[in-house]
Amino acid sequence: MTDYQSIYLALSAMLFVIGVFGVISRKDAIVVFLCIEIMLGAVNLAFVAFSRANQSAEGIFMVMCVMAVAGAEAAIGLAIFVLLYRKTGTINIDKFNLLKW
Amino acid sequence: MELIAAVICGAAAVAAALLVILSKNTVHSALWMVANCLTLAVLFLLLNSQFIAVLQVIVYAGAIMMFILYAIMMLNLRANSDEGDIKKNLFTGRFVILVLFFISLLILGVGLSPMAVKGDMAPLALSTIGEVNLIANYIFLEGLCPFELVSVLLTAAVVGAVFLARKD
Repeated sequence: MTDYQSIYLALSAMLFVIGVFGVISRKDAIVVFLCIEIMLGAVNLAFVAFSRANQSAEGIFMVMCVMAVAGAEAAIGLAIFVLLYRKTGTINIDKFNLLKW
Repeated sequence: MELIAAVICGAAAVAAALLVILSKNTVHSALWMVANCLTLAVLFLLLNSQFIAVLQVIVYAGAIMMFILYAIMMLNLRANSDEGDIKKNLFTGRFVILVLFFISLLILGVGLSPMAVKGDMAPLALSTIGEVNLIANYIFLEGLCPFELVSVLLTAAVVGAVFLARKD
């Protein structure tokens, strides 16, 4: 069917690296959150590419699970951001040390 | 033909992802993230996976990204002035080391994976039975327990979000 697996896998690795770089270098909590979504998308691409290579439905099932986890994460994460913004007036992640002891 | 389309869409996806982390304005970041989701959907189509492409457009670009845009507009954020060094950061050694590390990891993984062809989604079965039918068979016959656990997770997330956002 498709003979270009390595292109999709290299693309997935590049998107994942961009996401990791955004997570470690940005300060805005929502952009960090978007970078996590980029990483999830890259993993989805690798799952679909491997699912095609193996001709099995397992990778596609994993992609659906990842999408559900991303939705749950969006709901909880944005609720936490709204709460933090209401409490402190900013969502700069350098300003938060509530969980430090 | 498929190769050309994959390269073009891949370049667009990488460019959109870079613009997500380089934009100063958070709303622009979210809109570039929508573009990234749409190019990923095209890549799923190129991989012959129409169902996942439709899910990507509806769930990611439609639901999750609109939810994030809603939250950004509720928070009334100003452009932060204390992160003007993103573009400088991007060209330092850290980024290059990360790229090389992940690509080598991926090549290692591709080399080690056995690639056992199972064949329950072979091209013939895909064209006669249909992709959604095959995926549904997999979910409700073999993956029933994870599927139910995902529904429990979503319910817990909704309850938790309502509990967190409640005014008390």
